[in-house]
This record gives sequence, C-alpha cells and structure tokens, in this order.
Amino acid sequence: MNAVILPVIQALFVLAIAPLLTGIIRKLKAWMQSRRGPPLLQPYYDLYKLFRKDSVVSKDSSWMTTVAPYVCMTAMLVAALLVPVFVTESMGFMGDLIVVVYLFAMARLFMALAALDAGSTFGGMGSSREMLVSSLVEPTILLAIFTTALIAGTTNLGGISSAIASSGLDLVRPALFLAFAGFFIAVLAENARVPFDNPATHLELTMIHEGMLLEYSGKQLALMEWSSMTKLALFTVIAWNAFFPWGIALEAQPLPLLIGIVVIVAKMLVLVFAIALIESSIAKMRLFRLPNLLTGSLLLAFLAVMTFYVL
Amino acid sequence: MASLLETNLVNGLAALVMLAAFMMVASSRMQSLVRTFALQSLALGALAASVAYLTGAEHIYIVAALTIGIKAIAIPRFLSYVMERINVQREVEKIVHTPTSLLVCAGLAVLAYYVAAPIIEQGTVITRNAMALSLGVVLIGLFMMISRRKAMSQVIGLLCMENGLFMAAISATYGMPLIVELGIFFDVLVLVIIVGMLAFRINRTFDSLDTSFMRRLRE
Amino acid sequence: MVSELLLPAAIITALAGAAAAMMLEKREERCLDVSFGAAAIVSLLILAVGLDVLLGSNLDLSIGQGIMVPTAPIIHLRVDKLSSLFLIALGVVGLAASVYSRGYAKEYSGHYSLARFGALFNLFILSLLLVFSASNLILFLVSWEFMSLTSFFLVIYEHRKEGTLRSGVLYLVMTHLGTAMIIAGLVPIALQAGSLEFSVMSGAGALMDPTVRSASFLLLFLGFGTKAGLVPLHAWLPQAHPAAPSSVSALMSGIMVKTAVFMLIRSVFDFLGSPTVWWGLLVLLVGAISALVGVLYALVERDMKKALAYSSIENVGIIMIALGASMVFLAYGFAQLAALALIAALLHSLYHALFKGLLFLGAGAVANATGTRDLERMGGLARKMKWTGAIFFVGVLSIAAIPPLNGFISEWLVFQSLFLSFSFSDVVVNLLLAAALGMLALTGALAAACFVRMYGTAFLARPRSSEAAEAKEVPKSMLAGMGVLAVLCILTGLLSASILPAIDSVSASVLHVSIRDSLSNGISIGTPGGNFSSMSPLLVAIVGVAVIVAVLYLTRFYGGRTKTTVSDTWDCGTPLTSRNEYTPTGFSQPVNRVFNVFYRSKPQITVLEERSPYLRKLSFSTSVPPMFERYLYDPIVKLVAGLAKRAGVIQTGSIQTYLAYIAVTLVVLLLLFR
Repeated sequence: MNAVILPVIQALFVLAIAPLLTGIIRKLKAWMQSRRGPPLLQPYYDLYKLFRKDSVVSKDSSWMTTVAPYVCMTAMLVAALLVPVFVTESMGFMGDLIVVVYLFAMARLFMALAALDAGSTFGGMGSSREMLVSSLVEPTILLAIFTTALIAGTTNLGGISSAIASSGLDLVRPALFLAFAGFFIAVLAENARVPFDNPATHLELTMIHEGMLLEYSGKQLALMEWSSMTKLALFTVIAWNAFFPWGIALEAQPLPLLIGIVVIVAKMLVLVFAIALIESSIAKMRLFRLPNLLTGSLLLAFLAVMTFYVL
Repeated sequence: MASLLETNLVNGLAALVMLAAFMMVASSRMQSLVRTFALQSLALGALAASVAYLTGAEHIYIVAALTIGIKAIAIPRFLSYVMERINVQREVEKIVHTPTSLLVCAGLAVLAYYVAAPIIEQGTVITRNAMALSLGVVLIGLFMMISRRKAMSQVIGLLCMENGLFMAAISATYGMPLIVELGIFFDVLVLVIIVGMLAFRINRTFDSLDTSFMRRLRE
Repeated sequence: MVSELLLPAAIITALAGAAAAMMLEKREERCLDVSFGAAAIVSLLILAVGLDVLLGSNLDLSIGQGIMVPTAPIIHLRVDKLSSLFLIALGVVGLAASVYSRGYAKEYSGHYSLARFGALFNLFILSLLLVFSASNLILFLVSWEFMSLTSFFLVIYEHRKEGTLRSGVLYLVMTHLGTAMIIAGLVPIALQAGSLEFSVMSGAGALMDPTVRSASFLLLFLGFGTKAGLVPLHAWLPQAHPAAPSSVSALMSGIMVKTAVFMLIRSVFDFLGSPTVWWGLLVLLVGAISALVGVLYALVERDMKKALAYSSIENVGIIMIALGASMVFLAYGFAQLAALALIAALLHSLYHALFKGLLFLGAGAVANATGTRDLERMGGLARKMKWTGAIFFVGVLSIAAIPPLNGFISEWLVFQSLFLSFSFSDVVVNLLLAAALGMLALTGALAAACFVRMYGTAFLARPRSSEAAEAKEVPKSMLAGMGVLAVLCILTGLLSASILPAIDSVSASVLHVSIRDSLSNGISIGTPGGNFSSMSPLLVAIVGVAVIVAVLYLTRFYGGRTKTTVSDTWDCGTPLTSRNEYTPTGFSQPVNRVFNVFYRSKPQITVLEERSPYLRKLSFSTSVPPMFERYLYDPIVKLVAGLAKRAGVIQTGSIQTYLAYIAVTLVVLLLLFR
C-alpha cells in the first residue's frame, strides 16, 4: 500500500504547495524592488476566482484548445507521482526520469499546439519561441540526468535519491555540482523565468509562455496556470532530489517523514529565493542571445560528464 | 592513499580552474574577463596550497602565495587600471561567436584528455587526473588568443595558458624547483607591464586596441 | 508448417494481381478492386508468415528443385527471425497502404493509367518480400534490383508533374551506386565462404584478412547507407519519396529504407561477425549527424511530404545510433548491452514503419483534399477533415515521442542503451557516446518542434487558401487504411512489454544472447545489468486516464457550472484574417536564425517600384539553399560529365573507326595470350 499512498500524497502536496511557491517568488521580487507586492496567497485567490468564471473560446479553434488544459494538468500530476518529494518512495517502477522529462514534453506539445489553434499572432510567436528554447535546453537536461545516473547507478529518481542520500558523502564529486549548475539554468529556461522569459509581462516582445496562454479564460486558464506552477515546483524538487537529496526520508517512518517534509520545503525556499534574486538582478535576454546561455549550460552538463570520467 | 574528501577537494579545484577557462571564453565584456581570470588564479592558488598541505612539500606554499598575490590580485588590478586609462571599449570583440567557440573548446577538452590519457596511466601522484584538465586549459587559452580581436584579450589568453602550464606542473611533479617558479612569475609580471605600456602606444596610434589594425603595418 | 503454403501463395497472388490489373485497364473500378484487393491479400499473407516464423521456427523453402538446373531449385527462400520481424512490418504497412490506395488511386483516374499503378504496387510489395526472404546472394541482388526498378517506376508515375522525372533519375543513379558498393562489399565475403548461400556465408568474416574485412564493412555501410538515406548520400530521398504516390511513399519510407537496415544488420553481425570499435563509432557518428541534419531540414521545409522524407532521414539516423552503440558494446564484449541496443534499433525500425507510414498516408489525404502539398496554403483542416485530423494527430504524437505511444518506447530504449555506456575503459569512447546522447536529445526535441509546426499550420487555426477552406473529408477506404496504423501505434505502445520478448528472440538469433528476463516482465520494460531503469507504458496510460478523468470531474464541479461562449480570437481591434496567423516559415524562423551556420539562408530583398523615398514596393524572399547538392553533388556530377565528355572522343560515328577499334583490340589480345 505504501507504494501507492505515499506517491499520491506527495503529488497532492506538490500540487497544493505550487501556488504558494509562485506567491513567494512574487513577494520576494517585490521586496527586492522596494515594493510591498501582492499578498503571499494571491495565486490561490486567483485560482479560486478563475474556477468560477465563464470562459470564452475562439471560433477558429478546434478540439485542441478544449483538450489541452486537461492534458497539461494530467501530465504534471502523473509526473508528480513519479517524483519522490519527501520520501524516496514514488511510483518510479512505472517511469524513470526520462519518462518525467517526456511527460513535460507532452504538456509542452499540447500547449504549443493549442497556442497555434486560435490563429492569433501572439500564440504563434509564443509557440515558435517555446519550441526553440525547449529544443536547446533538452540536451542539457538529458546530460545532467546522465551524470547523476552514472553517479547513482540508476535513472529511477527514487533510486537516485536513495543511493546518494544513503551513502553519506561518498558520492559527492565535482561532476555533481557542474550538473546541478547546468540543470539550474534548465530550470530557469523550462519555467519561463528571467532571463529566458518574463513571467509577469503582457508585452508580446517579451512573451514566450504568457503568449501561449493568451486565449484561455475561466477554468481552462486556471488549469493551465496551475500546471505551470506545478511544473516549477516539480523542477525544484527534481533539482534537489536528483543531485543533493540529503534529508529525504529513506523509509516511511513518522520521524524521517517529518524531517523529509521540513527539509524539502526549506530546499524549495532556497531555490525559490535564488530564482527571485536572479529575476530582480538581471534583465531578460534578447531571444537570439539565449542560445549563448543555453550552449553554456550544455557545456556545464558536458563538463559534468567529462569530469565524472576523467576525475 | 588520500581520502575521498581530499581527492574530491583537489579535483574540485582543478575542475573550477577549467570551468573558469570556459567562462573566459564565454565572457562578452572585458571587465568580466579580467575578473574571471582573477577567479581562475585564485582557484589555482588554492589548489597549490591544498597540494602543499596534503603532501607536506612546503615550497609549494610560497608558490601558492605568489600565485594568489601576483596573478589573482596584482595583475588583474593592473589590467583594469590600463583599460580604464585608455578607455577601452567594454565589448570583447570575437571572431568566432560564443556558441561555436564553446563547442570548439569542449572538443579541445576531449582532445586534451585523449592526449593526456597515457600520462595519467603512469602517474602516481594525487593530482594526476588534473593533467588532462591542465592541457585543456592550455589549449583553451591558445584558442582564446586566436579568436579574439583585442590585444587585451589576447594577453589574458596567454596568462590563461600560463595558468594551465602551472597546473600541469603541479599535477605532474608537485611543482618545479622554487627558483624556476620565481623566474616564471617575474617573467609574467614584466610581460604584463610591457603589454600595458604597449597598449597605451597602440591605442595612441590607432585609437583602438583592435589588433586587426596592426595588419596595416605590412603595407 | 502453414507458412510453407502461405509464402508461395503470396508470391502467386502478387503476380496474379499485377497481371489482372494490366488486363482490366479499361474497367477502372474493377481494376482498382482487383489490384489493391490482391495487394491487401498479399500483405495479409506476408504478415501471417512473419508472425508464424517469429513466434515459431524458421522457414526454409525451395521451389522448383531440379527443374532448370539438376542440383538447385528455381527459388530458394529462407525466412529466419530477423526477416520475420521486417516481414511483419511489411505486411502491416502493406495492408494499410493497399486499403488506402483503393480510395486514393481514384484521383489519378483520367490522368494516368490506373492499371499501371495497381500492377506496379503489387510488384513492389513482391520485390520487398523477396528481398527480405532471399537465401542467397544472387536472388538477393536480383530482388534488390527488382525493388529499385519497381520503385523507380512508381516514383515517376506522375511523370507529367514538374520535377518528377528529375527526381526519378537521381533516385535511379543513387540506388545503382549503392548497389555497386553492396556487390563490392558482399563478394569478398562470398569468396571467403566459398558459396553464395547466406547460411554458409554466416561467420565467414572471422577468417578474412582484417583489412579486407574492414574494407568490406565500409563498402557495405556506404552502399546500404545510400539506400537508407544516411548523410551525405541522402539527397535522393527528399526528392524521390515525395514524388511517388502517397501509399507508395509510405512503403518506401516505412519499409524500403529498412531493407538497408536489415541487410546491414545481417552483414555486420552475421556475415562479418565481431565488429571492431571504430566500425561502431563510425555508424554511431554518421547516424547522429544524419539525425540532426534530417530534422533541421525537415523544420524549414514547406512541402509536407518532403518534410516527412527528411524526418525519415532523421529516424534512420536514430536507428543507426542504436546500431552503432550495439556494435561498440559487442566490440568491448558486453553482449547483453549489445542485445539491448540491437533491440532498440529493431524496435525503432518497426515502430517507425508504423508511424511514418501513417503520416505519409495522412499527407496524401491532405494533398488529395486540398490539391496542394504546400503547408503555406493549408490551415483549419482539423475542422473540415475531422477524422483525418484526429488520426494524423496520433502519428504526430508517436513521432514526437510522447508517452505512452510507440515512438516514445523505442526512443526510451535508445536512450537507455546510450546511458549504459559507462562501462568502458576508453574514456574517449565514453565521451563520444555522451556527445551522441546530447545530439539525440536535441534531435528529439527539434522533431517535436517540426511536427508541432506541421500539425499546427496544416490542421489548426484558419485556412490560408481557398482550397484549404473547401477541403472535404477523404473516402472511407483511405480513412480505414490510416486508422489501422493509428490503432496499431497506440496498441504497440501500450503493449510494448509484451512485444519485447519477441524482439528479444530476434536479437538472440543474431547475437546469441537473450536478455528476455531483465527486459520485460509483461507489464514493465527494464534494462539488463542490475536494475538500472524500468518503465511501464501500460501503467502510465492507466494512471494517466484515471487522472484525466479525475481532473475533468473535479474541474466540472469545483466552482460550479460555468458557461462557455464562442467568440472571436482576441484581435486588438482589427478583424483577423488568414494573413495574421503564423506561417510555417515564420514558425521555424528562430531555429533558422540560431542554426544559420548550418542553413546559410540569406534573405533577398529587391526593390520593385520606388515612387518616392517613402513609398517603395519591395519583394522579400528567403530560402534555404540545398547545401549538399550545391557543394557535394554538383561538383561530382560536373566532374563525371567532364570526364565523360573527354572519353566521348572515341565516339566518332564512323563505322570504319569502330571496326578499326575492334581490329586493334583483336591484335592486342592475340599478342597477349600467345
């Protein structure tokens, strides 16, 4: 029973805490910019409001627009079932890290197609740029996963976290840090954070993610927004549990579980703070400068593999 | 045999030196180039110091101190001073664009490993794995000299090569005899001062540090 | 066993179908029924034979023993496990294409001879059957040539269309170049074995001189690489595959390029045996480069079928990556990992045949309904052609490697076989494999982008031309053909864990090592060597369906019932036309710019009219120059043409000169052989 109940609880936990993380990022950015900022729980209020609103659908769109929000949300939830959050138990026998990466790809595919569906230029722009950025990020993510799989001996995320966490400091190598650095840049890219995209914007010149959501309203918009927030939460969890998982509960006992929850929340806050710091300090890069940064992150991941073999 | 922590520390610092070389290739501004060089020299000094600590060879401490003092502090400050005085343009002008040069440097790193592999097999010192990385740093420094336009960036490329050679010396034989090290440091210092002076003259003649102007000398 | 009857039956039905088609030239409906009905029956028979051998034992069939020559049969066919897998693919795609062609061929009525199409179609399938089941070198070469000829005639079927003949000629030249290299590669092996029978040639490589062995491998790789479409020998593929009728394109991309893969596997693992490391690395790197080149060109291609052809090049590259990895593993002695990589290559070959066949059939349907293959003139087809849109989308999901469909399963296996490469002692090989891993990841993501572009611009949003606006759904036979493949894409994805043991038996027959136990337990797929990874598509699908139902239900009822109004797309105040939508060229423009080092496309802006400095009429055009044709093919063609011109001097046209040539040769020979 543990194999089913714990992953479900973890998935619901991630789903529930995701809007809070987004709210914290916004609040931190506001403080760093000497503003008061919106309330911490604002994303929850937004979702509450959106679920109660009517929606408007474009007459040019097809079944793709109707289907996409549900598929995106489903992809995130299934991925959340496969990722260990505060305990190493997950439904990992069903899918490993590669499956998780491709579930994100599924969500992105449907989102991009739905953006083209309404026939507006904003959607097309967002869709085209999103496919570019995600293509360039994919090698980094896979090489970073490769590095950690080499170190831990499996691509199953639960297996990775238990292998690294249970062996003390034995498995720490420079490769781990380099892979984490590359993966962190990938986290920024995949979740539409500065310098890749401005998540607060409504100007088409700076839109990638927001452009794809422009035509949505009501419940569908709520689902899309929530799935994006869940994606960010999942990425922070994966970033920690794949590279530096110490603190995660290795067995399903009350005390380790409690420690695990506290540790993962603290880690998420650290990463979220770093994201907010970056978002407040640097400007969004021009679209065609992004390949430079992404090649840099690819290089970090490749160096991680190389230092694993060489050192 | 060294413990895992010690090996990881040494390897981590060596990886940081190489990473700094890559960051120098990727920099697009002169100031960040100089600062990254300072970081690289700092890491190198720390590497030398930890090797000294782990092996008990005391003369390396002096070398490490000199590295940090001269290469991580003095030279970067001097270069920044020169650049400020002649109002160098902030951009690093590149002949090869960043993504391509990063991929080429990755290839050079693999090549360096391929070449250094037989040496590593025979080595017994704690830092033998760093040989491959040092050769890579030398090649990357050379590439930087080839693919950058400004005279300043070429100097930094040369200094990077020197860092790589120094790291190779440490990783192969725990450093060279002290007097050789001192001679090299003095050479490097004088080199940088001369380049600084030359930069003033070049700038006065051509009003820019772009070395492609110097091709006019041929005519 | 029953296959002994089914296989000759298939051959006879194909020949009968072709003959009947030619005789029924005048009566169109009857002709189509007979010829494609025969083709469908042939495909079913082939499928049955394939399944029978795969799940049972090998088939050895000699027909006409002693009739022409006392000691040999007329035809000797042998179907072993490796052939059976490809025969299954042929059977399935052939069946779908036959049913589809019944409705598709109607378009050609009045323009071109339907009888010819039907006859050639049957003969093409027959030739593919013979290539897969040939038991000796002569029969193989004859059927290989037969296959090239029938496909050539099918490529130039629409000969009045512009460019078709050129594509056909290029195809003919390239395939014969490849055949020449194949012959040059296989002959040394046959000489060493002392026989032309494949069963005797097995293992002959072990006794060959290493240099001859490597030379033989290189020639075979180049020859089969030409047929498979590996860079830089690929230029014929994007011209020939789109030129043929769509059902034939499906067979060409789905099955014909796999004949090259099939024979390459047989040559390397069976005939030559124990590959060396550099062979594997060469195959791996050429595969990785082909994959990347293929997908990059697919992304900027306007012609729907040409883009699919480039995508075939990409997928063949992926198969070669897996094959190369398998060879490298074998060279280092890791037989189990080699088996895993080979299984990945075989699985991708099979699955690619399914989804690429589906996509080509869909492209044909779209071309039929709109009268154009140009993506820039399509749009909104998902609402006009509901079924085609939905079925084509299954193909898009498969090729973009979306779980839990079949494309994802084979891609997962290829990734796993590359991941398991950490066991080597030579670090440079490890790093090259890591680089190949990065290139594979980039290729997969760009492929997804390519098909988002294709599906998005062709099927979604508003129509960009009047033809697209008036598109109607295609006949049921075409839908049925496509539907079969779509259903199979889904089923083979979900039930992969049950299919893998059969594939394992194929790889076991080649490598003599089986990883059945660690590979699959019926529900999930795993990897050998100690629990490295596992995955279960069936469970993911079940959980996914459960979750989506839960999400639907909860969304419906949380926050109460809400209304959905249909209105205009947000348009900033100006009414939106088809000009406001993103074009396919615009969609891939960022990729074009980022990879401009590769594409080297330069926009051309010419001023047409200039009434005043402020009022100018400009023309803007941008295109991607064909780099391989311009810098590799054209110079070689010029060189050969120049040499031919020089040699043409001996053709003086005068009879006396020719007689003089004969006389001189006669005298020389007499002197030489005194």
